[in-house]
Formats: sequence, structure tokens, C-alpha cells
Amino acid sequence: MNPRKPYVRPISKTSWFMTQGRYKVYMLHEISSLFVAIYTAILIIGLVRLGEGEAAWQGWLDAVTSPIGVIFHLIAFVFALIHTTSWFKAVPQAMRIQRGEEIVPGKLIVGAHYGVLAAVSLFVLILAGVA
Amino acid sequence: MSERTIELEVLRYRPEQDQEPFFQTYKVPCEEEWVVLDALNYVKEEMDRTLSYRWSCHMFVCGSCGMMIDGEPKLACKAFLKDYPTGKIRVEPLSNFPIERDLVVVLDDFVEKLESVKPYIIPKEERTVEQGEYLQTPAQLKAFKQYTLCINCLCCYAVCPQYGLDESFVGPAALALAHRYNMDSRDLGRAARDDVVAAAEGIWHCSFVGACSQVCPKDVDPAGAIQQAKFAHGIDYLTSFLPGGKR
Repeated sequence: MNPRKPYVRPISKTSWFMTQGRYKVYMLHEISSLFVAIYTAILIIGLVRLGEGEAAWQGWLDAVTSPIGVIFHLIAFVFALIHTTSWFKAVPQAMRIQRGEEIVPGKLIVGAHYGVLAAVSLFVLILAGVA
Repeated sequence: MSERTIELEVLRYRPEQDQEPFFQTYKVPCEEEWVVLDALNYVKEEMDRTLSYRWSCHMFVCGSCGMMIDGEPKLACKAFLKDYPTGKIRVEPLSNFPIERDLVVVLDDFVEKLESVKPYIIPKEERTVEQGEYLQTPAQLKAFKQYTLCINCLCCYAVCPQYGLDESFVGPAALALAHRYNMDSRDLGRAARDDVVAAAEGIWHCSFVGACSQVCPKDVDPAGAIQQAKFAHGIDYLTSFLPGGKR
């Protein structure tokens, strides 16, 4: 008789991510994309409304500035921050740049991403007449 | 030398008599500079000779003593008792692997996967001894050296939820080693490895949780290796549409 009897520990397919802090952070980072996607969809709808004339545009503007619209955008903003910071943090792992015998430090790559983000944001704000 | 007693809660499983694992607590008199492996060795030598676990080098080189220590996959030889001030430490076999006995897990699945990625140099050109060695610059070495540091301790598999949920996933260490050889200037085996590496169960199964790289005791960064491999395959796919591209 084979004396081996390996024991397999069960893993919950629906709540595995609650077992470790790092899995929760991962799920938060994944879920953040949902809010970024909804925000983007609302923005695209706004563009379509803009093309449909002044009344349609005003209707969209009223919707996004309504209390529900504002609350959603505040939540989406928080998730957009989570999305941005968590992805930027992960970039040096995926983007490994070698110069000669040295690997470009991750901090430099992350810093460059924040630099570009700041520059693009400033450009958009100037374009919008806010800054 | 100062001494303190720690409570070592060890997950036991003796297949010939146990239906399922259970925790057994040992009160171990420990010295300040001990690691968890020293405490296990004390139990084995002085308290309970039936306890089974793997170890060899005691200097984080061999990769044998990977186990869950307070829920975190670690090398027992690198887990210092002074970092566990409560004096109570829970030791379990590596998660995501079947338990063979006590702290010993079944490694067959990993060994098969490691073999499947052809973790050896498939040379660009066969050279005879007379032709001399394969030359490599320090910069060419740097491109893959980090990924050579893997000691197959499997801490990365123990924390990978993708592997835990679906063991068809080739997994972090095997894919990092495939990347190591793919990045080697002397190697031309990428196409031969792609059957496994670029399959759905290979790099594409990884959703970049990144836990493997967080727990790696040798800082190999398997998650990074997998994302870089994905990037390389993405570039291959896009360039295949260019004139002269291979599809």
C-alpha cells in the first residue's frame, strides 16, 4: 500500500483576497480601474452631448454638477489617485532600463512619471483657463 | 548568552495516522540570536524526533527551509526569533502546496514546471572546446544576473494567489528562470521556451499581484521578470504587423 497521502489545504475561491493585507491592496488597485472606466465613459458621453448642441450639453453639465454627480466624481478622484500611485509604483518592475552596466534606479523612473503627470495636468489646466 | 522560551506552534500532519493537520505547541528554550530553524532543530533533537521538515545549509543558500512563519513565507534560517517579540511563533508548511508530512510539502508540480521552461542555455552556436569559451560582457551579464539568484525556495508560489487558485499556472520562479535564460546573450532558446512561457498558463496567467517579489528572500523580483516578458511578447506581436514581420 502506498503510505503517501498528501493533504491539500482548501482555498476559498470567493474570499481568498481577504486573507492577506497585500491581497486587499491588490484588489483595491484592480477595482480602481472600474471607477476610472466609469469616469472616462461619463466624459465621452459629455463630448457626444457637446456635439449634439447647447441644450444637450447643458443637460450633461447639470447631471455632473448635481449632488450625485459631485459625490461620484469625488469617489472616482480618490480611486484615480489609488490607480495612479499604485501603477506608478509598479512601473520600475515592468520597465527595467539598463544603461551600460547599471540599471536605472526605480525612483528615477517613478519620478519621471510623476513629472510627466504634473506637466500634462498643468497644460490641461492652462488650456482650461483654470491655471 | 541570554535565553528565552518561545512557544512554537507547528502544523503537524502524519499521513499514516492523521486525517487532517493540527497544531502542536512546543515550548522551546531559545538563545537570543537563534532563527526559527534553530528552534525547529532543538525540537527535533531534544523534544520530538518525529517532527519532519526540510533544511540543509542554514545560510539562505540552499532554499530548502521555505515555510510559512506567522503566515508569511520565509526561509526558516533567515527568520530571526528576535523579530518575533511576542514569543509565540506559528510555523506551517508552504501554502498552495499539498502537505507530504508536517512541514514538508510535495514539490513534484514545481519540478515538472521548472523542467518545462528549459532552464538551461540553448546556445546560439555550438562551440567546440578548441574554439574556446562563450564570451560575455559585464553589461550582458547584468541584464539577467538578478534572475540567476533564485534558490527555488518556493516562497513566491506560496504567496501567489493565481497559483493557489489554479495550479495550471507555471508560476513565478519557473517563469523568472525562463526570463533569466531568455535574457542571456549566449542563449537562443526563447522560441523553444515560448510553448510554455507565452501560453495562457504562462506569463499571461499572471495578473501582477506582485506578492512573489515582496516575499522573495533573494530579491529576484519574479513579478518584474514576468511583466518584462509580457512586454517583450507585446512588442513581438505589434512588430509582426510591420512589413517583413513574422506572424
